[in-house]
Amino acid sequence: MKRLALALAFAAAATAHAATVGTPAPEFTAADLQGKPVKLSDHRGKYVVLEWTNPECPYVRRHYNSGNMPALQKEFGAKDVVWLTVNSTNQSSDEFKTPQQMAKWLSEQGAAPKATLIDKDSKVGRLYSARTTPHMYVVDPQGRLIYAGAIDDKSWASTEETKKARNYVRAALGEAMAGKPVSVAATSPYGCTVKY
Amino acid sequence: MRFVLLLLLFFTLSATGAPVRTPQVEAELVAERDKWVPGEPITVALRLAMIPGWHTYWRNPGDSGEPTRIEWRLPPGFTAGEIEWPVPQRIPVGPLMNFGYEGEVLLLTRLVAPSDLAAGQPVTVRARAHWLVCEVHCIPEEAELSLTLPVAGRAGPDARWGKPIAVARAFVPVPAPEGWSFGARSEEGGASLAIAPPDGVALKEAFFLPYEQGKIEPAALQTLAREGNGYRLALPAAAQPVGPFERVSGVLVSPQGPALAIDFPIAARFADLGLALALALAFAGGLLLNLMPCVLPVLSIKALGFAAAGEAGGSRLKDGLLYSAGVLASFWLLAALLAALRAGGAQLGWGFQLQSPVAVALLAALFLVLALNLSGLFEFRLSVAGRPAGEFLSGVLAVVIASPCTAPFMGVALGYAVLESGWRAFLVFTALGAGMALPYAALAWFPGWRRLLPRPGAWMPRLKRWLAVPLYATVIWLAWVFAQQVGPAATAHDASWEPYSAGKVASLAAAGKPLFVDFTAAWCVTCQVNERVVLAREDVLADFRSRGVALLRADWTRRDPEIARALAALGRSGVPAYVLYKPGRPPLVLPEVLTRERLLAALDG
Repeated sequence: MKRLALALAFAAAATAHAATVGTPAPEFTAADLQGKPVKLSDHRGKYVVLEWTNPECPYVRRHYNSGNMPALQKEFGAKDVVWLTVNSTNQSSDEFKTPQQMAKWLSEQGAAPKATLIDKDSKVGRLYSARTTPHMYVVDPQGRLIYAGAIDDKSWASTEETKKARNYVRAALGEAMAGKPVSVAATSPYGCTVKY
Repeated sequence: MRFVLLLLLFFTLSATGAPVRTPQVEAELVAERDKWVPGEPITVALRLAMIPGWHTYWRNPGDSGEPTRIEWRLPPGFTAGEIEWPVPQRIPVGPLMNFGYEGEVLLLTRLVAPSDLAAGQPVTVRARAHWLVCEVHCIPEEAELSLTLPVAGRAGPDARWGKPIAVARAFVPVPAPEGWSFGARSEEGGASLAIAPPDGVALKEAFFLPYEQGKIEPAALQTLAREGNGYRLALPAAAQPVGPFERVSGVLVSPQGPALAIDFPIAARFADLGLALALALAFAGGLLLNLMPCVLPVLSIKALGFAAAGEAGGSRLKDGLLYSAGVLASFWLLAALLAALRAGGAQLGWGFQLQSPVAVALLAALFLVLALNLSGLFEFRLSVAGRPAGEFLSGVLAVVIASPCTAPFMGVALGYAVLESGWRAFLVFTALGAGMALPYAALAWFPGWRRLLPRPGAWMPRLKRWLAVPLYATVIWLAWVFAQQVGPAATAHDASWEPYSAGKVASLAAAGKPLFVDFTAAWCVTCQVNERVVLAREDVLADFRSRGVALLRADWTRRDPEIARALAALGRSGVPAYVLYKPGRPPLVLPEVLTRERLLAALDG
């Protein structure tokens, strides 16, 4: 009986989350800034980067103010990597941004994602167990998650130091595109809590 | 951007000791004593007072957030230790969980003033503290802080902060005191922590806070269940794990006891063995039991009984089946007894029947009768061919006399059975019985095999007298076991081996020392053989010594709940068990049949 209780406790924890490195990235549909639906499977055959963001979070601001995130988006956009920025802030939160507000902020920052998704009921966030902003995921052309975790290894860096940190996303994409296994496939992400 | 600049205006270099205030946090350095004393440590606390609704973070912030950091700028000769964190609260944020502090927290650090510090001038220590303070919004903040105290030969408690710091220290987790024991076992979906509190302490609730992220899921429910005399806490693994989950390392919090800092390697779950493998091992173990010194003499006599009866008629199938039924029934009875006693909370394992001096005495008497019978000094027929009751009882007898012996593979299979319980355990005991009954049953069934037996002759009585010798030896040995059990507690201690205690294992492991534990008992034949043939050898002891391996002996001759718990945590239910603990690795359980080569391979592998 106790074994059953234990097993149930584990099962409950496990079924709540599905996105782990090495398994297929969960499929989702979310609306972009123009309201058009975007599916993960639309981009099968290409590398996809999912970037959880929230303009109100100081960690996100640091990565944009330093130019770090926009530079990554441009660098890999040029290599045909599909960069999807996701804001899972729930529409009931006072940090929620409408598509217009997001568009304005992104253009101010010089950001260049392929699409930005407004996940206003936080469904995609929960599907991916996104915990922080930023929280990064990399999906390979076959649809498998090859990286999940932090953007880099320096959570306390100053704006100037940000570009010098070891960037896990750049490393994962570089290794995977060269046909090598991803050496650091999972890290603990840092940042503000996603506002579910 | 402007928002950030506005915040920067609130960061000021604190005038010596004056707190730094941001809209959410008041920060300062405070000391438990009122003066620096050269050469002596003093606890300095970073005090963070948060306005309601805002929190800062623990060393493991949980799903998100950032732990507070202190960068010390110390005068020459001063040293500072790591932050000693009081137990944090669990702070749920939607579906996620953070570990941190609301209200006020004192993060303690021990500073040591150099012994050559000159008295006279007051001395200032400085620190840059960084923290993340969040409510819904999050704000990373930092402050330059300082603390100035006079220097003197003695110091008293600080009038304002001495007491609060002492209170905060009481909330810093401590290693478990004597009386507590723990074990950690891998489970499907995570791990579980076995907790055995000292007598009189009952836990109604408890939860575990890991030191590291990416191992245990912060927001997942950790169910606490009673198990035997203790408890088991479920630790669901992180949904997105980072690195292997090999140790349970963190703080156990319970309102019914102090916060305990624990750090244990996770033992592989023996039930991972799978039922099929456990059954195969049990069957093999049962077969091998027939070759054990307890069983072989008597079984040989039974087999030769066939020879004596001549080739009378074909199949003695009925005899074989009755004997097998006796064997199986005895194993089922033992299994049921073991299960019932464990369900009642007793910490028992296989061999439990031999931990009672009464059982040992009865067994010794039984062997004596058998030995006298074989010597021809006491007549009664061992197996009366054709009498159903006789055959059944001889099966029971076989199991009874087998009980002091543990065959290879039996330990693993029994460990599985005891952990799994229920119908799986029942099947394992059945396989064990089937293996044991098979040789005699096969002889009974196949007349052709019986023809292979040597023809009866004058040699038979002589052989019987010779076979009585191991039985007499068993009687003497059981008498020795009886003496160990009822005699004074102090047995002759081999200087190389220290007595086992869970606390010793923990402290040696924490010190990064490799150690080897010999779980043994006086009544366990395999244990005694291994000890004399391998573990007592000079070259083997030298192997251990040259590798700096500490040696512990866990003597289970008498009932010992601590040893029983340790065995259970390792996935074993009986002795022998040989366990090698190497720093940074999960414990390695060695096979029951020890050889020097196996030991060396494990030590150097």
